[in-house]
Amino acid sequence: MSSWEDDDSAAAAAAAAAASTDVELLKRAWRNEKASPEILRFDSPLVSRVREQIQLLEETLDDFGESGVDDLVVSLYQMDLDRTLFLLRSYLRLRLQKIEKYMMHISKSEDLLSRLSQQEQRFAKSCTEMMEKHLEQSVLSKLPYGYDSVTRQSLSSTEDDMVPEPQLDTFVFCKTKSDVGAFQLDDIGEEVVDLVADDLYVLRYKSIKGLVESGQIDLI
Amino acid sequence: MPGYYDIDDILMEEEPISVVFQVSANGVGLLDPGAERNSVEKGAKVDLPFWLAHGLLSLEQAVSINVPPCFTQKTRKEIQADAACVDLRIRCPYFYELGCKIVPLVNDRSIGLFLRYAFTSRYKEILSKSHSSSMMTVPKFVPRLTKEEAQVFESARDSMTAFKKWRAGGVRLQKASILGRKRKTKLPDGPSAP
Amino acid sequence: MYGRRASQLLKEVDSCEAGQLVPFNSDVFDQVIRECNEHNTQFQSLIRKMVEQNLDIETTRNDDHYGAAVHHLSLLRNKRCLMAYMYNRAEVIQSFRWKIGPVLPHEIQEKLHFSEKEYFKNHSAAIKSYMSEMDIDLTVDMVPPKDPYIQVRVLEDIGEVSLGDHSISLTKNSLHFLRRTDTEQFISQFWISDMELVRKHNQADSKQEW
Repeated sequence: MSSWEDDDSAAAAAAAAAASTDVELLKRAWRNEKASPEILRFDSPLVSRVREQIQLLEETLDDFGESGVDDLVVSLYQMDLDRTLFLLRSYLRLRLQKIEKYMMHISKSEDLLSRLSQQEQRFAKSCTEMMEKHLEQSVLSKLPYGYDSVTRQSLSSTEDDMVPEPQLDTFVFCKTKSDVGAFQLDDIGEEVVDLVADDLYVLRYKSIKGLVESGQIDLI
Repeated sequence: MPGYYDIDDILMEEEPISVVFQVSANGVGLLDPGAERNSVEKGAKVDLPFWLAHGLLSLEQAVSINVPPCFTQKTRKEIQADAACVDLRIRCPYFYELGCKIVPLVNDRSIGLFLRYAFTSRYKEILSKSHSSSMMTVPKFVPRLTKEEAQVFESARDSMTAFKKWRAGGVRLQKASILGRKRKTKLPDGPSAP
Repeated sequence: MYGRRASQLLKEVDSCEAGQLVPFNSDVFDQVIRECNEHNTQFQSLIRKMVEQNLDIETTRNDDHYGAAVHHLSLLRNKRCLMAYMYNRAEVIQSFRWKIGPVLPHEIQEKLHFSEKEYFKNHSAAIKSYMSEMDIDLTVDMVPPKDPYIQVRVLEDIGEVSLGDHSISLTKNSLHFLRRTDTEQFISQFWISDMELVRKHNQADSKQEW
């Protein structure tokens, strides 16, 4: 891939981003989060912008209530508010549930932790502590010395062989936003696919991870 | 790689594998029902659960593994004759998963191709049946499926049901299923999942 | 056979419907813990035998070594089963916080190990503190909204409830037209039912659509 193509697709992605509203961006983050096997980066600025807009909508609705605006208009605004609130809640919930699932894995990696918001980091930390305490007092404390670790099966393990990790080589459905060009799916260059704009693909998550992070491809 | 806590993986590893001991082992007479002392003699042929056979082979080269009957020529011929009719569950509910784990332990690369053939030829049948069968009845071929296949069948059927429901405009709010089950009798007109 | 009892625990979990919980099987659980310690005793005594013969336990490959290897592998296996039993149950238990709420009904409490009760409490507290830090309630709005208002029928006496700026009295069998977001917590706990849902259900019954 030559560099001008890179610039081109980055510019296209930026243009697409500028054209969308924050709610649409949140919907995209939500969809990506839903389909991705691992936790993605938390978009703090986006979430706080959406929350500001929610607050604004709520205030507008309160004003409507006082000034006696047509009920139909009120319920349209209400619907819009409800949908945005749902999206936000569902997005945050999705992330918490993913953290719950891979808490031990996330807690021991600086890179993964840095993808979480401050509050999520605290949540992950206390979740991990609680799960470890629970396994410790119910099982591990009753096992013989050498077999009582929560991360290693026994003293002869040379690495953490108990921590659940997401399967990054799982297949995902995805949609390209702009032309990516010839894209290498594996490390050795045997599998190459031509990714054209607005097309659907089923690919291994691991191979397109970078494109998801840079916003060139959306998971669906 | 399935995780440490994966229940299916753990249960799959309970499948019995016939092995021949290449060494003798003391203090484990329980493994060999024919043992006279509390030990297993070299050359003893015993059935071990997969996890133990695997551990003894890969860490200690203490045993040699016989290919399980579900991957032998006889089963292969049956699958080739009519894949969809073969009862794989009774042979091994974790047929494919076990197959994948057996390949590196026995020198037989053709098992991989065989698994793939079996899966793809049965898959068609599963998919078409799952889309046409109703939620109420269980088609009679389901008991013949391996666990993985049964899951494919269930999820294909569920997604078809969900699609039909969406097209007809289904219910939106749902009670917590864990509560509903217990209280259903108290509420004569209470909603239940269709 | 070694490890058989431990796998029974997981068969129980496996045969149970997804998201549900079987009672904690403390009998089998304790037996498996005992088996673990038994394997360890056997393992240690075989190793001791080798040490007494002045053999290097790192490199010697004799009958005692292979016996010890079997006990070691069996202990690992039993550990994995016990841990998976607890871990998978804990996952179901933490999902209750989202599905049911911070207080578990008696019939579920009964099925739990004491450590599991504690875990549920701690886990709920962690979610609660996240929600208060974020100043948002994540336990409502579990399904995408359609109409902002819905008609509901009250199934059990709930009493005076404050909903946003006003309060209403939810008595048994009364009908109300309420904001959907206000009613959700009651619906999920099955105290009131969504009339749309009831009508759909009755229709489906009479027509046998599916």
